[in-house]
Amino acid sequence: MSGRDEIMQKLTRTLDQGDGRAARQAAVRAHMAKPGGPVPSIAREEDAVGAFIERAIKADATVSRIASADDLPKALAEELRNRNLPAAIRHGADPMFAGLDWGGLETSVGIGRIEEPATLSRAEFGVAETGTCVLASGADNPVTLTFLGETHFVVLDAGDIHKGYEDMWAALRARGLTPRTVNMVTGPSRSADIGQQLQLGAHGPVALHVFVIG
Amino acid sequence: MTVQSTTPQFKQNTKDALKNANLQTALRDTRNGFVGKRAAAREKMGVDEFEGLRDAARDLKNHTLANLDVYLEMYEEQVRASGGHVHWAKTAEDAQRIVLDICRKADAKTVNKGKTMISEECGINDFLAENGIKPVETDLGEYIIQLRGEHPSHIIAPAVHVTVPEVRDEFRKAHTHLDADRNLDGLDTLLKEARGVLREKYFEAEVGITGANMLIAETGQSIIVTNEGNGDLSQSLPRVHIVMASLEKIVPTLEDSATILRVLARSATGQDMSVYTTFSSGPRRATDPDGPEEYHVVLLDNGRTDMIGTEFQDMLRCIRCGACINHCPVYQTVGGHAYGWVYPGPMGSVLTPSLIGVEEGGQLPNASTFCGRCESVCPMRIPLPKMMRHWREREFEKNLTPSAMRYGLKAWAFVAKRPWLYRVKTRAAIMALGLLGRRKGRFAALPLASGWTGGRDMPAPEGDTFMAQWKAGKRP
Ligand code: SF4
Repeated sequence: MSGRDEIMQKLTRTLDQGDGRAARQAAVRAHMAKPGGPVPSIAREEDAVGAFIERAIKADATVSRIASADDLPKALAEELRNRNLPAAIRHGADPMFAGLDWGGLETSVGIGRIEEPATLSRAEFGVAETGTCVLASGADNPVTLTFLGETHFVVLDAGDIHKGYEDMWAALRARGLTPRTVNMVTGPSRSADIGQQLQLGAHGPVALHVFVIG
Repeated sequence: MTVQSTTPQFKQNTKDALKNANLQTALRDTRNGFVGKRAAAREKMGVDEFEGLRDAARDLKNHTLANLDVYLEMYEEQVRASGGHVHWAKTAEDAQRIVLDICRKADAKTVNKGKTMISEECGINDFLAENGIKPVETDLGEYIIQLRGEHPSHIIAPAVHVTVPEVRDEFRKAHTHLDADRNLDGLDTLLKEARGVLREKYFEAEVGITGANMLIAETGQSIIVTNEGNGDLSQSLPRVHIVMASLEKIVPTLEDSATILRVLARSATGQDMSVYTTFSSGPRRATDPDGPEEYHVVLLDNGRTDMIGTEFQDMLRCIRCGACINHCPVYQTVGGHAYGWVYPGPMGSVLTPSLIGVEEGGQLPNASTFCGRCESVCPMRIPLPKMMRHWREREFEKNLTPSAMRYGLKAWAFVAKRPWLYRVKTRAAIMALGLLGRRKGRFAALPLASGWTGGRDMPAPEGDTFMAQWKAGKRP
C-alpha cells in the first residue's frame, strides 16, 4: 500500500467514528461557503490609507506620497540621492514602469541579481491592518527583486490599499490573479539571531521605501 | 529513523544545562524579551479581540482536524492543478528517501535550507550529508548552530543559547576565505558577514528546502512566515523547491489563514505581522522569469494520524509560535537542548512522547511545574498541562518512571484526581513557601532543590497558587 493510501485510510477510519463521511463533507462545504473568523477593529479602520502609512512606518518602512505615477522617476531619484545610492534602479516589465520617462536614472529590466543596490516593484495591494504590501510574482514584478535589493522600493496605488486581509483576498480574487507567489511584505528584513538584538537587513533588504500614489 | 534523541537522559541533560554558564547567560538575556513583547502586542490589539481570535483559531483548527481527510484531498488536487507534486511520507525514513530521490534527480550537490522543524524531525541534514549532498542552513540562527554542529534549542530562535563571543569564534573558524585580522566587534559586522557568505550560497544550490507554516486546501499554496527573507531566497533561486510539512498544517482557505496569522506573530515575537509571509503555489509559470522549475511537497505523518481521535489530538492545533516555551519556567532554566529532541518546552513535552514513543520521550512531561502559564498564553488554547498529566499517567502505567518518582507520583495522582484536594494541598504548600520567601521575594537556595536554585533564584510564590490568582483575576 502506498504511503498516501495508508495515511488516508487510517485518517478516514478514525474520523468516520465521529461524524460520517457525508456529514463531514457537508461541514466542509458549509465552511468553504463562509470561511474566515472575526475581523478585528485594526482591520476596519475608516482611513485605510492613513492607517497603512502609520503602520508601515511602525514596521520600520519609510513612506512618501506622490500625486501620480509620472512623478515616480523624480521622487525615486531624490530618494536614491538622499540614501547615497547610485542613480540606478532595476525593475520588472510592469507596464507602469515601461511608460515612464526615467530622465537621468539608469534603469535595467529583469530579475534580481546577487549585488543590487536598489530594486523597484509595484505592489498589487496594501493592507492597512498591519502596513503590509502585497506583491504578485511574474514577469511584471519578479519575486527575486523583492529579496535581492539592498534597498527595495515599492510603488502602490492608494486605491489598492484595503482595510484588512479579508478585503485584500477578495480584491485579489476579483482581479483574477493566480501568481506563483503572493508576497506579503511588512517592513525591511531583520534578525535577532545574534545576541538577541534585533537588527535590520538580514538576508532581504536593509531598507524598504513605499511610494503611495494618490 | 527520526533524528536521534537524548531525551532518556533528560535528568542528566538538565544538570549539565544548569552548570553551563554561557547557556545561563544567554537564557537570562532573553527571559523577559519575548514575554513582555507578547503581552504588549495583545494589549495593543485589544485584549477582548485578541482572546476572541484565539477562540476562532482554536475552532478553525478543530474543524479542520475533524475533516482532515477531506481537506487533504482538496489540497492535493490543487497542488497538482498548479503543476506541483505531493509526496506522502508515513515515517521520517520515508521522508528522507523522498527528499534524497528528488535531490538525486536534480543532480544536487548543495541544498539550501530555510528554517524547517520537520526537516529537523526527520534528520534530513545528516542523511543528506551521509549521501554526499551538502545541506546549508540559511536562517541565521540555524546557520550558527550548524557551524557549531548542534541542533536548535528553540523553535523560533534556534541559536538563543549561543552568546555573541561564541558566534564571533565560529565565524572566524568557518569563514577562512576572509581576512583573518578583520574587525568583528559589532553585531552589525557579524550580521553583514553572514549575509555576504550566505548570499553566495543561495546561487550555488540546486535544491531549496523550506518548511511551511500553513498549507491552504482551497488553493494548494504553502505559506512560509519569516523575518529574514532567507526562506524566500531558498525557494526562489534554486531550480527545485521542496516544501517539508506535517499534514496537520492544513487550513481551509485564505481567509482562514488570516485568523492564524493574526495570532501567530503576536504570540511569537510580539510583532503585529512578521516581515515576510509568502504564499507559494507550484513551479514557475510559462511567463515567469524566476522561481523554481519544480515544486514538491513532502507531507509527513510520523505518528500524527495516531494522535487523531485520542486525548492528544488537541496538540495538532499547534502553530509552532513558541509562546509556551517562552513562558515556561522550566525551559527558562534549562534551555532547549536538555529536552534532548527536536521540540523543547511544554509543546515538546507533549509532542515528543507522541512522536518518538513514551519509552524515549516519557520523562519530559515530568519536567513541568504545572504552573499553567503555557496554556494561558497558547494562541490555539491547547491544554498542555492536561496532556502532560496524561503522559505522566501513561508512563507510570508502563512502569517507566524511576522508582522514587513513581512513589511520589502515586500520592500525587491520588490528590490530583480529586481537584479540590489538589488545590487545597498545593495552595497550602505555596502559601508556606510564600511566607518563607516573602522578605526577599526570591529563594537563593531551597532544601532538596539545589539543582534548581544553583542556576537561578527561585522566585518566592506570590502568596497563592496560579489557579487561585487566576480565578481572582490577578493573572491574564
Ligand atoms: S503549543 Fe501553543 S503556545 Fe506552544 S508553540 Fe504550539 S501553538 Fe504556540
